Amino acid sequence: MKPGDLRPESFASYPPEARTLAAKYLAVFQRMPIILLALILREVIQYDWSFPAEREKLTGQLDLLVGMTDASFAALMSLFNAIPLPNQLSTLKWANQPQPFSERLTAYLWTQHLIDDYHNATQAYQTFLVRALPQTRPVTPRWTFVVIGRGSPKLHRPLFQPLATHGTLFTQVDSRGALEVLEAALRERAHQYPMDYGHWYIDGGDLLQAEAVDSRLTFVSYNAPVPAAKREFTLLNRFSREAGSRSAPGPEAVGSYISGMSPEDLDLTGTSSDVPLRRFQVNLITQGAGCQIFSTTFVQWAARECLHRAQPLTLFARFATRQCNAPMEQLLSRDPLKQPQDAEGSLIDADMGAYYTWINQSRLPGAEEARFLAWFEGQSVACAISPTLPEGTSSSQSINMEQILKQMA
Amino acid sequence: MDNLWQIAQQRALSRRDFLRSAAVTGVATRLLGFAPLRAAVMPREQKTVVVTFGGGARDEETFAPEGQENIPNLMNKLIPQATFFTQVVNRGILGHYVATASLATGVYESFDNFADVAPKNPTVFEYLRKGLNRPSKDVWVIAPSNGFNRIGQSDGSLIVPGMGAQVILPKHLLASLLRTNSATSSGPEFLLQDNYEDLFFTPLSVDGDSHPTRLVEMLLLSIDDFVQHAKTLSSADELSVYVMRQLMRQFAPSLLWITLHDMDIAHTGAYSLYLDGIQRTDRLCAEIWQMIESDPEYKGRTTMLIPPDFGRDSDFSASGNGFQHHRTGDPLSRTTWMMALGPHVRQNVTVDRPLDSLDLVPTLGAMRHFATPLAHGKPIVEVLG
Repeated sequence: MKPGDLRPESFASYPPEARTLAAKYLAVFQRMPIILLALILREVIQYDWSFPAEREKLTGQLDLLVGMTDASFAALMSLFNAIPLPNQLSTLKWANQPQPFSERLTAYLWTQHLIDDYHNATQAYQTFLVRALPQTRPVTPRWTFVVIGRGSPKLHRPLFQPLATHGTLFTQVDSRGALEVLEAALRERAHQYPMDYGHWYIDGGDLLQAEAVDSRLTFVSYNAPVPAAKREFTLLNRFSREAGSRSAPGPEAVGSYISGMSPEDLDLTGTSSDVPLRRFQVNLITQGAGCQIFSTTFVQWAARECLHRAQPLTLFARFATRQCNAPMEQLLSRDPLKQPQDAEGSLIDADMGAYYTWINQSRLPGAEEARFLAWFEGQSVACAISPTLPEGTSSSQSINMEQILKQMA
Repeated sequence: MDNLWQIAQQRALSRRDFLRSAAVTGVATRLLGFAPLRAAVMPREQKTVVVTFGGGARDEETFAPEGQENIPNLMNKLIPQATFFTQVVNRGILGHYVATASLATGVYESFDNFADVAPKNPTVFEYLRKGLNRPSKDVWVIAPSNGFNRIGQSDGSLIVPGMGAQVILPKHLLASLLRTNSATSSGPEFLLQDNYEDLFFTPLSVDGDSHPTRLVEMLLLSIDDFVQHAKTLSSADELSVYVMRQLMRQFAPSLLWITLHDMDIAHTGAYSLYLDGIQRTDRLCAEIWQMIESDPEYKGRTTMLIPPDFGRDSDFSASGNGFQHHRTGDPLSRTTWMMALGPHVRQNVTVDRPLDSLDLVPTLGAMRHFATPLAHGKPIVEVLG
């Protein structure tokens, strides 16, 4: 099928809202090269369980394309059109199954040494979108708190080094009551700026009780989806065994199989109102490498995906320790919550995770006004990044968490 | 790809600055000066050891100032004895098996990284055996077991078949022995860590060392000794180096290729384990050089080349997740370095001119005087003496 052959019924297998959306923008889809269209359809097919920020971004993008002149539209598509697409790919069911198509396309681009052309095309497209689409600034500056090191001892290596060049390193923080101050700040912001999926709490262990019962917060913890991850491995083993009896399933086939998993497949039950969050959790444990086995990876990836997809006003990410390393076969089969913990390694993981969380926050609209705080839980070192604080400085004055937040505000 | 060379050049200059900051090497101009050659005349029987600093490491965790603490052996022991190339660009597919196969053929192979296939183009092992008329025991490959079992020999369509290297996959060797010897069935399973790139995928037919018992016997080890020693090791790469030591003792091959891989555990997202892998690889590189220097069969006649297969994604590539993967193909993940040590290699020299990953095979051919007709790239004159 060519894009020009698309009809409303081509999207019959899509969820209801996605189907309506596809019908609305059918005319622009018909003019797009398959390579870009498949990328966009991957988002369209998920529309029913997308976060508000994702919906706004997608429809804004499509409205922009609809409003372009023929000449500028053709110019924008030219880099994608220049990438040759063989028949064996263009004849796949890319409209119905955009994710498996993308898996096959990626393998093709690598083997034909076209991956750089593809990256250039997507980067040019992204650059165009950033320039052409109005950036929706948050109603209030974004705040992110990253708390690392629960259960870890102090290390000889300094913490927060890459972050410190962008903010102020506090080395004499009074840790008494500091966690409670941060939790209160999260809840207060959720009260003050109510917003669907606008305030998140992500934990590498169990949730704190207060967060678990606060309906204004979106919360995700590592311990909760562990059974879903085990279920995922069971399904994968079954898939590999069944496929392997015919021929070996390649990584693309495995990837496609995983990406088709639903919350119900993984026994993640709930109500229709929390479908976006359950889908988010499915994506975490099916798309994030290492999220299933290491809680530190889970928190870093969840924070990344949360910032990228939901664009929250407030994020509180709290790392815990992860299990010790072991052969992959064991890691995939054993219960990660009942294993010896690598306390020192977890702190190093989380330190890097804090830095990556700041990088991901910095990619969002309003980054220049955003606030970021990383703190070693129970200890005296924290790093604060805010337009109100000098960059690359260190403070050895005695200070408590409330005072730091005031300085950041 | 237009800006790749530009970024590679910037990265090369940074590496040179990093090394200068550590005050361990001279600069490129010294190549034309009086950097000492340890041996003016090469010994008659040359040997070559290629150690791929494999699994993917970035400058941030190696040669950048903040990373140098992870590679004390490269910085303090090896670079002062080496010619260091600051700019080696890999333009191929960034999967470990296909990239290492490309290093070994001198052609950017384009097969599926996870497929159980041999390289299309002749390997350096075949070129050497054919060109120098060497027996199979003269050329060995020690490799991690995730798909590397076919790396020793091309598919035979472009060169006469049967001239490849013997390939040992130590992890599979150990796994086979653990399976067949119930008395030793517990203990070193942790060395069997494998295939971080895709947690759920294992090639169907990985049987490069299909006669494990015979292989162990060839190394003049008892199965119990092998397994017992494995229990004392802390990683799969340590097992590979142990096997390498036995190979050197028993066969003294003239071409040994060992692919290290521990640091690829970065795919799990655990930064500390990735750093552990780099630190271990750094130590093992020094141990290998020490093995060479303390073995009469190798001392004074061996060139050791250490090329990484490729890097990892930049922290600032939006489509990646930093150190965790090497999926974006961004310029930094393609830009690496290489180190050469040996009696005819100038010491404490840095070379900034750009090299291509494919230059390795023609260089080995020129060094050892065998033809590599289908390999791309050019011999690296700075290591040819």
